Amino acid sequence: MYWHRSSLIVVGALLAAAACSYAAYGATASSKSTVNITFMEAMSSGTQKPALDLLTKRFEAQNPNVKVTLIAEPNYGVLLQKEQAAVAAGNPPTIGQAYENWAASFADAKAIVPLTGYVNNKKMGVKPADQKQIWKGVWKDLFLPDGKIWMWPFNKSDYVMYYNADKLAKAGLQVPKTWVQFATVAKSLTKNGNWAWSTDTGTLAAPADGTIMLMAMIHAFGGTWVANGKPTLNTKAAVKALGYLADLKKAGALQIGTNYPGETALGAGRSAFDLSTIAGYPYELAADGGKFSMKVAALPTGRNGEGNAMAGTNIVIFSKASNAQRTAAWRYMKFLSEPRQTAYWAEETGYLPVTKDALPIMKRYIATHPYQQVASQSLQVARGNPPYAWWTTAEGQLATALQAVLDNGGNPAHALAAAQAKAMAAAGG
Amino acid sequence: MIAEGALVRAKRSPRRRAGRIGIRDGRFALLYLSPALLIFGVFTIGPALFVLYISLFDWNLLNSSLSTFVGLHNYRRLGSSPDFWHSIVTSVYFVGCVVAGSTVFGLGIALLVSSRGLVRRIVRLAVLTPYFTPLVATSIVWVWIFNPQFGLLDSLLRLAHLPVVGWLQSTTWAMPALIFYTLWHDLGFTVIIFLAGLATVSTDLREAARVDGARYRHEIRDVVLPQLTQTIVFVIVITTIDSLQAFTQIYTMTQGGPLQATTTTGFLLYQESFVFYHTGFGAAIAVVLFVVIALFTLLQLRLSRSRSQ
Repeated sequence: MYWHRSSLIVVGALLAAAACSYAAYGATASSKSTVNITFMEAMSSGTQKPALDLLTKRFEAQNPNVKVTLIAEPNYGVLLQKEQAAVAAGNPPTIGQAYENWAASFADAKAIVPLTGYVNNKKMGVKPADQKQIWKGVWKDLFLPDGKIWMWPFNKSDYVMYYNADKLAKAGLQVPKTWVQFATVAKSLTKNGNWAWSTDTGTLAAPADGTIMLMAMIHAFGGTWVANGKPTLNTKAAVKALGYLADLKKAGALQIGTNYPGETALGAGRSAFDLSTIAGYPYELAADGGKFSMKVAALPTGRNGEGNAMAGTNIVIFSKASNAQRTAAWRYMKFLSEPRQTAYWAEETGYLPVTKDALPIMKRYIATHPYQQVASQSLQVARGNPPYAWWTTAEGQLATALQAVLDNGGNPAHALAAAQAKAMAAAGG
Repeated sequence: MIAEGALVRAKRSPRRRAGRIGIRDGRFALLYLSPALLIFGVFTIGPALFVLYISLFDWNLLNSSLSTFVGLHNYRRLGSSPDFWHSIVTSVYFVGCVVAGSTVFGLGIALLVSSRGLVRRIVRLAVLTPYFTPLVATSIVWVWIFNPQFGLLDSLLRLAHLPVVGWLQSTTWAMPALIFYTLWHDLGFTVIIFLAGLATVSTDLREAARVDGARYRHEIRDVVLPQLTQTIVFVIVITTIDSLQAFTQIYTMTQGGPLQATTTTGFLLYQESFVFYHTGFGAAIAVVLFVVIALFTLLQLRLSRSRSQ
């Protein structure tokens, strides 16, 4: 009968479409001669995409039996959702970008594989001398609490102080080197409808630059975020750091906003500073539009020296990949981190080279872009997100404490005590 | 006798024929409906039942084999969770204001623009257009309008030498700002519904009232509103269901902050399930929200049926 035949055609088409979509991404099968790997990443804006495309082509030219398919997502939020969905569906990519707490969740769910064996492999590993050349902060960031390496570095950045050099010169002020000096300079510049610095406090579900700066200041003031595997959000240093920010807000020197408020205010000439990641340099430059001389300095220091937070992700290998795919993926990840490639990546995108050995290659670039050296040196002290699945909740609670004080005029000690209680509950403490 | 038999057969066979036709029609109807039923079952009923299933577990989103059965523990946790009850209060605040605003302003604008005229057509276009704009794009625009340093609203307040408001950064003003945006975006829908309702109002009765000397406000109160009751009830129920499910503008504009001032139950569901990985707990919130929305839907159906009867 006609309808019976046509129904079979429709069903057949649907099955074929389903099979095609299943093979669309994921740890795709390989033929005998070519190993196919997929890389789920969020490097899709500005110069990031063409830079990664070129590096990938270079790798494939050197490794003709490996085919790398890049799966670009628009931002980290979508990337995490896609990776989670792919893992839950049992169809993850071969490798993906991941923050430290994402990697901790993936490892808990047995969704990724440790890399220690690959790193220390005599044939295809990283020589001990080369391991030592990876920035200290970046190297420490690769480990989970079990002492194994689970991630490999890719696009790292840290925080710097962008400033309007013309504004400071006009006011006869020096670039602040300590947080004490910063407060003095900030308050001096707060007049005539201008202020010193704008930041986004973030929220419970979405911490932002303000939260990260508070974390950096906690270190600078001699505090910690985590100790013995548990959160430590209400140390004396944390209360002091939050009190410092409250004082700046009360003086009008610190303003709160959303959607990159620091970059907007600096670019509009209304503020003098933006404390943000070095990866944002092209965007800061675009915001200022050549209206003034924008320079970069290291973050101010506290009694404990410079505190800094590492931004950017590492790469993980998902456990559904075959042995051949894992080996090919490791070669690709190692390739991206080698001096020549990481130097190219840094020059094109504003991220930082993951190894000190890249700096000599970047000599000419650094001569015209000295901020790269400033930010790279900070990688020695920068700390990544604590590698615990519960850190997402803890960081969110820190953002809530920041909001309570800066948006609502709350007491720093009380706000941090509340944040600590909730973070401990999430950490099973 | 043959004629009688034929008559009997003629009398019998239409029913039997109708029965055979009925069964065949039923089978064909099911066949034609089956693709839609299959899609509905796979993409709506199935996932809903799966959410109910997940709510009984401490569910591991990334590796379901690591999930543990906890029975009604997630529901008991809801009962004692201050975050959940806070989200209920926030939802009541949001839903109450959006429903009241949509109904009152929607009806008012519909009455104003229901007649002909160029100015009224322009006003109608201005009110309807936001409804057809994407929620995400317009939310981002409004984030900038509400920006305390560079936004239009605070700039106007500064010009008028009035104190500036933190808007989306203020625990007091974030929810009113969200409500205002929602009304701006969705008012077009309720205006369309009320315009359709007004088209069914008897013009003879309105004319008769005017001839009898009734003022405009009496005409509206005593003639128009009673005939619009069913439409008003429909708008209230549909707007309640829509606003209970509101998520996009909260995600884009406030992320549930500041200090959970705009964390409705719908947003809490997302936060627990996809930010903090408390998937089982989030599923329990989803089930509770589903029950509330289902009750409103049944209420709407019952009221529609009783009105039409």
